[in-house]
Amino acid sequence: MGRKQNAADKGGQAIQVALPADCRLAAQGALRAELLGALDAPATVLDGREVARVDTAALQLLTLFRREALARGGAVSWLGASGTLCEAAGVLGLAHALDLPASVPA
Amino acid sequence: MSKVALAQFQQVFVEESLEGLDTMESSLLALDDGGDAELVHTIFRAAHSIKGGAATFGFPEISSFTHEAESLLDEVRGGKRAIDGGIVGLLLRTVDCLRGMFARAQAGELLDDATAAVLRGELAAAMGRGAEAGAAPASARVDRAEAWTIRFRPHPGMLAGGNDPLRLIRELAGLGTLEVTAELDRLPALDRLDPSECHLGWTIALRGPASRADIAAVFDWVEGECDLAIEPVQAAAPAPAPAPPAPAPVADMAAARTQREAGGESTVRVAIGKIDGLINLVGELVITQSMLDTFRDGVDASRLALLEQGLAQLARHTRELQESVMGIRMLPIASVFNRFPRMVRDLSQKLGKQVRLELVGEHTELDKTVLEKIGDPLVHLVRNAIDHGLEPPAQRRAAGKGDTGTLRLEASHRGGSIVVEVSDDGAGLDRAAIVAKAVQRGLIAGGDGLDDEAVAELIFQPGFSTAAVTTDLSGRGVGMDVVRRNVADLGGTVTIRSTRGKGSVFTITLPLTLAIIDGLTAAVGEEHYIVPLVSIVESVQLGAEAIRTVAGGGELFRFRDEYLPLVRLHRAFGCPGAAQRIEDGLVIVVEGDGSRVGLFVDGLLGQQQAVVKSLEANYRRVQGISGATILADGSVALIVDIAGLVRLQGGRKAA
Repeated sequence: MGRKQNAADKGGQAIQVALPADCRLAAQGALRAELLGALDAPATVLDGREVARVDTAALQLLTLFRREALARGGAVSWLGASGTLCEAAGVLGLAHALDLPASVPA
Repeated sequence: MSKVALAQFQQVFVEESLEGLDTMESSLLALDDGGDAELVHTIFRAAHSIKGGAATFGFPEISSFTHEAESLLDEVRGGKRAIDGGIVGLLLRTVDCLRGMFARAQAGELLDDATAAVLRGELAAAMGRGAEAGAAPASARVDRAEAWTIRFRPHPGMLAGGNDPLRLIRELAGLGTLEVTAELDRLPALDRLDPSECHLGWTIALRGPASRADIAAVFDWVEGECDLAIEPVQAAAPAPAPAPPAPAPVADMAAARTQREAGGESTVRVAIGKIDGLINLVGELVITQSMLDTFRDGVDASRLALLEQGLAQLARHTRELQESVMGIRMLPIASVFNRFPRMVRDLSQKLGKQVRLELVGEHTELDKTVLEKIGDPLVHLVRNAIDHGLEPPAQRRAAGKGDTGTLRLEASHRGGSIVVEVSDDGAGLDRAAIVAKAVQRGLIAGGDGLDDEAVAELIFQPGFSTAAVTTDLSGRGVGMDVVRRNVADLGGTVTIRSTRGKGSVFTITLPLTLAIIDGLTAAVGEEHYIVPLVSIVESVQLGAEAIRTVAGGGELFRFRDEYLPLVRLHRAFGCPGAAQRIEDGLVIVVEGDGSRVGLFVDGLLGQQQAVVKSLEANYRRVQGISGATILADGSVALIVDIAGLVRLQGGRKAA
């Protein structure tokens, strides 16, 4: 109940989270806080178009976020993802868990 | 014996064996430094106990493996074989391998892995029997194959150490085609995740004609920071090798582990003397209480002095009891320091440097929680010192120094803090290189006007690394900023002092315990907040003219020679009834996460020790608040998380 109300508080709108260009370990503190805030939203749109550098920590965080958001009944989608992000997810075997788009939108 | 009872004994056996392995390792290192024959006996006894226990408690693999090492040790002990660097190295790897086997035993996994098979062969070869003559393991070693299965499970601390699985797996892709399956089963909940810890694992199918050595070389630098199994996929048997009959005890261990995890208990060993001290104190408290009890029927003036005396005693005993209970959580830092002799030996051999390690103040005690978290930052500093700080022998000779560099770790109590210093007599910081790099990264415009301290401070900036030659060890840009953040998370600070050509000293200052902090109580509207004393630089009263508003609504004020952001606590935390005009309150200048901000509050009420209660455990995580405490009047005050608040402020600015 509490969670649904929370979602209603936020106006039932999708939250958009933009990933920074340097999405590595040093940026994770802020990103984690932002993702925690988005957990109860009915829908979250991730924007990974700017990501130029990424590491395992970032992909782990995103994987975990997506898993928990889905478990809470939220939807998680991508506005877009850079080639770097898609490639790294592929290397780590996380492309499926992250549901990353195959093509790279401009 | 019931299964659970056996599992409990197994747990004790594993703990004792791990201690035995620590003893073996430290004795081997001492032996390598020219220690005496008694050390060989010590090592032999430890190995013998592990062998015997393993056979009793149902770990035949560990028992037979240790038997190989024990036989070799027996020959050394009997004077049939001289000990040399090669044997010490082999036995050290045996110790590592046994640690891995025990870890797998606790996880309920198969005990033998490829490393164990290789080492069995090497131990047998050292005995002059040849690999075949050794207790040939079922999985005979295969060095070349067309396809491999690699199970790679980084330890949580691997990322903080600067090693990224992403890079390792990319490197692995150079050996053939990969099919990577990520294992997500150990991921914690998002709000519990420390982003610097790795909880992922991978099973990688590699197709391509690679040798075991090629694959192992990729993971060379993360040895000890991950669990790794490299197994050939036999063309003849497309199905994965049938699992050997799972020994029942392993299942028992897993059951015991589940039980423990369900309880969520971690344990601490306490010296019996500390417990006796506590019992004594409680006895004193009971006496005082019964003495005070006599005043229940009323107090008359003649006995007032006695009452005062009783209350004073009560206060003293309560304080002593508090200190003693805190003392139970205190453990010597030796448990962290002990990992360094081995690490320094391995690193210096790899880098061709000569390093003498000095450990001072190993008996200094600090809080168990702090102790568990200080390991990684220290490892990072020690690695940095060996990799960047200390020079190779030739370069040292040219600089007029001895061939052997000194790396010193010193722990001590200073006031209410623990100070850990990592110092080396190496090259020191290269000012010119740091300035050049900072300019290149756009951190500063130029080095003019910056004093040495300010330049040294630059290395704590995220993504900063100046190694002229990027080695595998460092130079990946995950570095000092992570060290500083980890230490800041413990409520501590890191500073550096460096002299060109003479060396560097990194000083980590940590609070004695995380359970009590010294703080200033500040009033904001009707609320009280505690600001940790360690973060406070100064408090000042400002006039309205001192405040500048910048685009976006942020406020700055001039403090000494810099402009600092102003955080109005009543706005940040939404407190009604607080002072609005800047001249009606106070600004506390605080430092956190390497930068300073001013906190605007109504006023300061005084200094006090606060017993920290977790907000996360009792309510939920709140950004900018690190915990709560209960004040003398029973009301609740929140403890301000300075680093979090600074980050919050930074985030707003960036947004």
